[in-house]
Amino acid sequence: MTSIDKNLGSLTGSTDPFNDQSDEVGAGIQEGLIHIRIQQRNGRKTLTTVQGLSTDYDLKKIVRICKKEFACNGTVVEHPEYGEVIQFQGDQRQNISEFLKKVGLARPEQLKVHGF
Amino acid sequence: MADDELLPFDPSLKKKKKKKKATFDLDALEVVDGEPAEPDTGKASDNTTEKYSKRTEEKVNDEPEPDTEKDKQDEDFSLDFSGMRKKKKKKKPFDLEEMKESLPDMSDAKESEEIPPEPEESIGAPPDDIDLDLPMKKKKKKKKAVDIDELVGEEEKTAEDDDLAEYSSKREDRLEGGGYTEGKTWFGSDRDYTYDELLKRVFDIIREKNPDMVTGEKKKIVMRPPQVLRAGARKTSFANFSEICRMLHRQPKHVLAFLLAELGTSGSVDGNNQLIIKGKFNQKQIENVLRRYIKEYVTCHTCKSPDTMLQKEERLFFLQCETCGSRCSVQSIKSGFQAVTGRRAALRAQ
Repeated sequence: MTSIDKNLGSLTGSTDPFNDQSDEVGAGIQEGLIHIRIQQRNGRKTLTTVQGLSTDYDLKKIVRICKKEFACNGTVVEHPEYGEVIQFQGDQRQNISEFLKKVGLARPEQLKVHGF
Repeated sequence: MADDELLPFDPSLKKKKKKKKATFDLDALEVVDGEPAEPDTGKASDNTTEKYSKRTEEKVNDEPEPDTEKDKQDEDFSLDFSGMRKKKKKKKPFDLEEMKESLPDMSDAKESEEIPPEPEESIGAPPDDIDLDLPMKKKKKKKKAVDIDELVGEEEKTAEDDDLAEYSSKREDRLEGGGYTEGKTWFGSDRDYTYDELLKRVFDIIREKNPDMVTGEKKKIVMRPPQVLRAGARKTSFANFSEICRMLHRQPKHVLAFLLAELGTSGSVDGNNQLIIKGKFNQKQIENVLRRYIKEYVTCHTCKSPDTMLQKEERLFFLQCETCGSRCSVQSIKSGFQAVTGRRAALRAQ
């Protein structure tokens, strides 16, 4: 009985046009988000990670270009959960987000820059 | 300083402004300070400003209002801002947008029934609330930098003044957004009044008749700045963490999770309720992250009201607004990929 009630509740909840839409939109964006994070290392050194780039791209090639452009080192790390992740040395958040936008690898709304 | 240059015409006016400025918020000052950056605009509008003020004063004198004094000061401020309209460029985009939104329904209200000022007021009031609310809140975002740095114990009166001035400046903005920069008073001239002038007049009347609407409606949330100190060589302590959580009406656990995920570090709350974060961070950085937290998890996404509740349902967090009743899901907190920054040898040993 209660389970039916619950089901009903969830059904009516999902038919709410506003709720539904907002959820849908959020999920859609969430899918293709590219997270750019910064991590502190020892001293004033930092690390920038780029997670969520589409697997269609050859990340190694991207890194090769970026390394030259930002004058920093970088690498591609394989992660069991998050797939391939790019790492750069130093705070390259600004650089990488501009680069991705400029090259057309990501739409501006896809980019999510984290950190301070 | 900047407005001294701008307003050389009326000494009494200037004096008043001086006095006012003393109690005035930094926000306005900021705008004023920005003035010299574009001297040409200031000069260009100088003449108009002068005209402007004379006219408005005439107008003010014509109207036998009890609180003319206040009104005049307000006018002064709107004047002031008209000179530095160009400064507001960054604010303009959403002002324009907002105007686009607000104009149609206002005009609808007006066109649907030809009404004398009295009923118009009552009709005009709700949209005023609604569409003015938005930029107010947006502004607050920007303003918070100022507020946070400021002492929290702001006097009631200054807050009021500030609100009023803000209000008028915003209105000014809006008028200018429509492209009508020259005088708003058509008294004494035989030209037709424009829509914007009428709009301004309505808002003026509204404000005069119920001053508490302006100040009462928009509660300013003034955040205490986070107290960030260094705890040891490579740790940071966030001293008033629990206090800030209380102000935001959020569970410390949630705020903590967000902070740590965003900063990409680890940390914990210690005995005397301060947060110890691993890594070196300064106040500015923590403030930035907190601001992002507030934007995502505290202010309502629809009406920007801070009066919200965060509820958890089936692993998802929902933000329920107490003001407008909207309800939307918020992003879950995920720390995502964490690169190895420590010593790999130590990791391997485990």
